Amino acid sequence: MAQAATSTPRRWQKPPAIKSPWVRYGLIAAVIAYGYWAFTFMPVNWDRVAQGLPRAMRILNTAWPPDFSRWQLLYSGILESIQMALVASLFGLLLSVVVAIMAARNIAPAFIYAIGRAIIVMARSFHPVIVAIIFVKAVGFGPLAGILTLTVYSVGFVGKLLAEAIEEIDRGQLEAIVSTGASFGKTVLYGVFPQVLPRLVGLGIYQTDSNLRASAIVGIAGAGGIGNTLSSAFRRFDYDFAFAILLVIIAVILVSEAVSGRIRSRLT
Amino acid sequence: MLKVTKLTKLYGPGRPALQDFDLVIDEPVVTAIIGPSGAGKSTLLRCINRLVEPTSGSVELDGVDITQLKGKALRDMRRRIGMIFQSFNLIDRLTVMENVLSGRLGYVSFWQAMTRRFPQEDIDRAYYLLERVGLAHYVNKRADALSGGERQRVGVARALMQDPKIILADEPTASLDPKTSIQIMEFLEELSEEFSIPVLVNLHNVELARRYSRRVVGLKAGRKILDGTPEDLTEDMLDTIYGTADRDPEGVLALQGPAGAQAGVAG
Repeated sequence: MAQAATSTPRRWQKPPAIKSPWVRYGLIAAVIAYGYWAFTFMPVNWDRVAQGLPRAMRILNTAWPPDFSRWQLLYSGILESIQMALVASLFGLLLSVVVAIMAARNIAPAFIYAIGRAIIVMARSFHPVIVAIIFVKAVGFGPLAGILTLTVYSVGFVGKLLAEAIEEIDRGQLEAIVSTGASFGKTVLYGVFPQVLPRLVGLGIYQTDSNLRASAIVGIAGAGGIGNTLSSAFRRFDYDFAFAILLVIIAVILVSEAVSGRIRSRLT
Repeated sequence: MLKVTKLTKLYGPGRPALQDFDLVIDEPVVTAIIGPSGAGKSTLLRCINRLVEPTSGSVELDGVDITQLKGKALRDMRRRIGMIFQSFNLIDRLTVMENVLSGRLGYVSFWQAMTRRFPQEDIDRAYYLLERVGLAHYVNKRADALSGGERQRVGVARALMQDPKIILADEPTASLDPKTSIQIMEFLEELSEEFSIPVLVNLHNVELARRYSRRVVGLKAGRKILDGTPEDLTEDMLDTIYGTADRDPEGVLALQGPAGAQAGVAG
């Protein structure tokens, strides 16, 4: 305090996040250059936009009012989608548990760990639509391809997050079970499972919800369900029927979102 | 019963956590292992049931060298070695009864373990042990609903459930208040006598070691520097084990005189 009176006030400035001025200003210049390039590269054809808008209006006009007269087709499609989603969720979760145990660094031997991680990476590397195209080629059109697709999708997501949950468990509880002389299976049963069970249930509900949405999309690739119905309605320019299908899909997803949200909030 | 010979554990380059440690336990009494933090107490216990892999040396239980065992043989040996932990390590989301019965996991089948259908004699034994530690009214309570002292009593029951030949207790009282610490040590002493099981207990509270053990082993920097009775724990010996400065950096003990020693000394 005493010496502050004698000297000039001490200045303070926040040190820059990037120390070197060359790198700092170089980065700013690069961002500006990139923005300019991206903007000029974007091929906005204003003629096509002008033509597109009235066309979109025409489609919307023919889509209104939605046509529910073929509700049997709609009903069987949405039912198939829900069934696909539920069956795939069940298989997907069961497989996910196995894969997650394999892919948890703290309990799996290095070799198994590598296999488990590889399965997850493969299951995650493609969007469900691409997986659906492959399965439709492999097993033909229909819900089987959809179920397989959604199973792969579930394993990629739940497997990865569950493996991470297993890696974060309390080591002490695991150690206690190992020290009773329990085998690997029994150690998983008592030392691992109780610790990740709430997470598994939460992930399972989330994934079922997610599968329901994805089941509509994979149908467009030919893998059964309401997506099939939707894409053929579009192909035949039945926009009013397509609109009815979209409304039903939205309704189903809203309901499933509400239900899963309610269940998951109860869990914690 | 238990014979540890030239046990050495190296975690990495540098000073071994445990070096040429010899110990023979042939009486079913409580043996306290004392020493400052990092002296190798925990490593010693974990090498005995191979939660930690010893670098060299041997650990024989009833003539079988544990350090050579693998797979099923190792698991069969582990189920005869009960362990009690500083942080209790109960399975939080399971009930008290499931936690106690988990001591039988080395004996029952996977199916029995999964469906919780344990043999009647296991359930009888679990009830007996829970009554013995005063928790029979809590059988269906979740373990994380219990207080620290109660949890450790479940931990003791779980270890005894294993029908162990020896019990290893790694700082069983370090997370507890003084009163519950005494209670746990009393249980260990009584149960050791009742089932005639030797108990090897790491303690950093010298006073508890004095009161509840019949034999005291002192560790310092991975080496055994004392193997005797609680009477051998003289002030000079404690200074050798802990170093005066470490024992009482603020000089509190010197100021309070004998009362300071009563409160116990944290290692």
